[in-house]
Amino acid sequence: MGEVSHRSIKPLQVNPIKLSEPMGATLAFLGVDGCMPLMHGALGCTSFAKVYYTRHFAEPIAIQTTAVTDVTAILDGGDYSIVEAVKNITRKVTPSLIGLHTTGLTETKGDDIRQVASQIDFPLVWVNTPDYEGGLESGWGKATRAMIEQLVEPTEAIDDSKVLLLPHVSLTPIEVEKIKEFIASFGYEVLALPDLSTSLDGHLGEKQAALSSGGIRVEEIRGLAEAGMVISVGDSMLPSAAALQKKNPFLRHHHFPHLQGLAATDALVELLLQETGLSRPHPAIVRWRARLQDALLDSHFSLGQTRILVAGEPDQIAGLCASLHEAGGRVAVAISTVDSPQLERIPAARVLVGDLEDAEALCGACDLLVTNGHGEALAHRCCKALVLRGFPNWEEVGNQLKNDVLYEGGAYFLFECANAATAAREGHVGSDRSDQKKEE
Amino acid sequence: MADKPKIRELLDESACAHNKSKQSPCNAPTPGATSGGCAFEGAQISLFPYADAAHLVHGPITCLGASWETRATKTSYPGRDLTQMGFTTDISTSDVVFGGEKKLLSAIDYIMAHYTPEAVFVYATCVTALIGDDIDAVCRHAAEKYGVPMVPVHAPGFVGSKNLGSRIGGEAALAHLIGTKEPETTTPFDINLIGEYNVTGDLWQYSPLLGELGIRILSTLSGDGRIKEIRTAHRARLNVIVCAKSLISLTRKMEERYGIPTISLSFYGKRDTSAGLLAIAEALGDEGLIERTKALIAREEARLDGKLQPYRELFKGKKAVLNTGGNKTWSIASALQDLGIEVVATAVKKATEADRQKARETLGEAGVLMMNPGAEQAKIIDDTGAHLLLAGGRSLYTAIKKGIAFADVNQEKKKSYGGYDGLLNLAEDLKNALENPVFENVARRAPWEK
Repeated sequence: MGEVSHRSIKPLQVNPIKLSEPMGATLAFLGVDGCMPLMHGALGCTSFAKVYYTRHFAEPIAIQTTAVTDVTAILDGGDYSIVEAVKNITRKVTPSLIGLHTTGLTETKGDDIRQVASQIDFPLVWVNTPDYEGGLESGWGKATRAMIEQLVEPTEAIDDSKVLLLPHVSLTPIEVEKIKEFIASFGYEVLALPDLSTSLDGHLGEKQAALSSGGIRVEEIRGLAEAGMVISVGDSMLPSAAALQKKNPFLRHHHFPHLQGLAATDALVELLLQETGLSRPHPAIVRWRARLQDALLDSHFSLGQTRILVAGEPDQIAGLCASLHEAGGRVAVAISTVDSPQLERIPAARVLVGDLEDAEALCGACDLLVTNGHGEALAHRCCKALVLRGFPNWEEVGNQLKNDVLYEGGAYFLFECANAATAAREGHVGSDRSDQKKEE
Repeated sequence: MADKPKIRELLDESACAHNKSKQSPCNAPTPGATSGGCAFEGAQISLFPYADAAHLVHGPITCLGASWETRATKTSYPGRDLTQMGFTTDISTSDVVFGGEKKLLSAIDYIMAHYTPEAVFVYATCVTALIGDDIDAVCRHAAEKYGVPMVPVHAPGFVGSKNLGSRIGGEAALAHLIGTKEPETTTPFDINLIGEYNVTGDLWQYSPLLGELGIRILSTLSGDGRIKEIRTAHRARLNVIVCAKSLISLTRKMEERYGIPTISLSFYGKRDTSAGLLAIAEALGDEGLIERTKALIAREEARLDGKLQPYRELFKGKKAVLNTGGNKTWSIASALQDLGIEVVATAVKKATEADRQKARETLGEAGVLMMNPGAEQAKIIDDTGAHLLLAGGRSLYTAIKKGIAFADVNQEKKKSYGGYDGLLNLAEDLKNALENPVFENVARRAPWEK
């Protein structure tokens, strides 16, 4: 472990990677079947989130706004605009749930949304998500926790065949599906909250729905406290796990900071073997472990001489860095959007909270950048290899099917990084980039 | 607790002239039934293309974090393109409690030290407007300190729509930039392009032609714009509004203050481009220029016609439905007609009365003007046997269902369709759409569904 700094010392963000709590909450609500996220703020808060996710997932995104104006910003405590919004939404569609979340604007004016929510006779979960606190991960985590607190029915009964997965926000839809299937192969019925694996996985539906289609159903959420085991992935999901534990003191909670790489996946298998009493996992898992071992060897020639800069959400970069480190990848710099206990565990020479301006200043000695779509311009300017991960990625299609987790995804991720680094070393990236520059 | 009727009354200002004809008066958005961007976004759009200025968003992370690097507004500025950078004070809880002015000033200091821009635009956002940060005072102070324009932009999202925000952006440029510097030289043919944002390089499709005619673009607001140039905009002979409506109040004020007349036009399609060039020449009122322009139009049209010939063969008998907004409702329709495609319907839901009239003239009596395109377009495709749907991404499903070709003319557009050469880009994209087998393949039934 290297030097860790938990705070940025700049008075501003330049080229931010950071996203807001309302953005995270929106996404969490989209992991519920038939849900309409309702952002309590001005038009733009919602419009930006909608366009952003539409481009990232290349899918229609359901979301509505309470459309706070200069008049309602001052005179309304939320009673008018929220109640009116619910009325107008339910006039056109019948959501299974409305996910009401605040913004910096409505938190600053001090709306008591809990009180307003109590006046509404419609299934609704409310959550405070000021965008001047936390970030994407905490917004997703808070919305998940709110769904648990407000929907899950308390019980003392336990269904040992049932497992609940609490995934952090940066796990892609296919990654959530892979983790669910992995656990299910041990004989469990697995649910995920939130579950983007069936809603924003990019499936072509019969028609374009006005609400989220797919995801965990509201009835399923209500019964989650009887899950015998809860597996949280990412530190941002710990408060949600704790909230669920309150609903049923007998459920067993196990936490994984991330599920990337050999060691983390081994730990999950060990737990599941222990819980089930089985002696071996499904043969496919055994095969994939051997493939990952081979991938570690095949990629270590390239990665072992590669200096890497990783930037993104804390739970996500913790996993990416661990996975690269296992194959000898030298993570020179890891940049996190916000502070997190994860930063202490990241195997990097330097870990800091920052932005892509910091990345630009520190990437000189690196060969490979692993970050979001805003890294494209940076990689271009600095002639670095680039592997695109995280929000947003508008440069490529297929984000929802990118898989880096467990033995299988780990192997693909190492190959992708090793190949990108090799190509850069052999000058493909450098010459391509300089050609482009000439054209411009 | 707020009194509901009172809010309703305030939003329904009965003295407004437009109140009788409009469902939601004074452009108040309806909670739970509305989409589209806010005033901050509009201000961004109108000012961000100044690549030599820093754009500092004073607010929490959402406003900038979700919006930087989203618009392909290209620049020829040789320095670092600051449009494609994100600057935000990313205010925290303590800033909300104690005020964010100090942080804002430090942020400006940081930007001046590291990026030395020609100007800094400081955008208020909902939260910093609500807590009452005095961005005017901070900007005044910083402008004195650095001797560089610091432009406060008061377009927090809650004041209204994107359109209003663009107007506020224009006002900010008028108040703090226009008229603050004299041009080194002037010519009788100096013009300002207003509302041209150079998205995908649209401006560059026709600016070489203006140059060839001896018409000088003195400044633009704001596509491929420069701070130094917009400061001299008051010396232009003519304001040319390229996008239909968002900056009309700016040009009106420039007319009152500096006596600069205004014309409004479009550079989409062959006929509009030709008419636009001629309109500029006529407004500048020089016989020689008008003659030169006519000759250039004849030459360009002939050149274009030659290149379009193979496409026209391909498009013969093809019908299109167009679902977009604003001036695109008729300007793209007219471009399609230039390609020999019959436009059977266009959406006028998001168009002004003037745009609707223009759409009617463009499409003729038989064309359908769709007031509710989402519901109408599928039936019109069936009724007319249309081959092509041009719309935003949301309508993709309609195209899949009907098994017809689809072209995105809103957000996904990556190439410029402006000017004469842009029409060739459009033709190529439509050819690719019509020849693409993807819609047939996607509509294929699964073996277990047969």
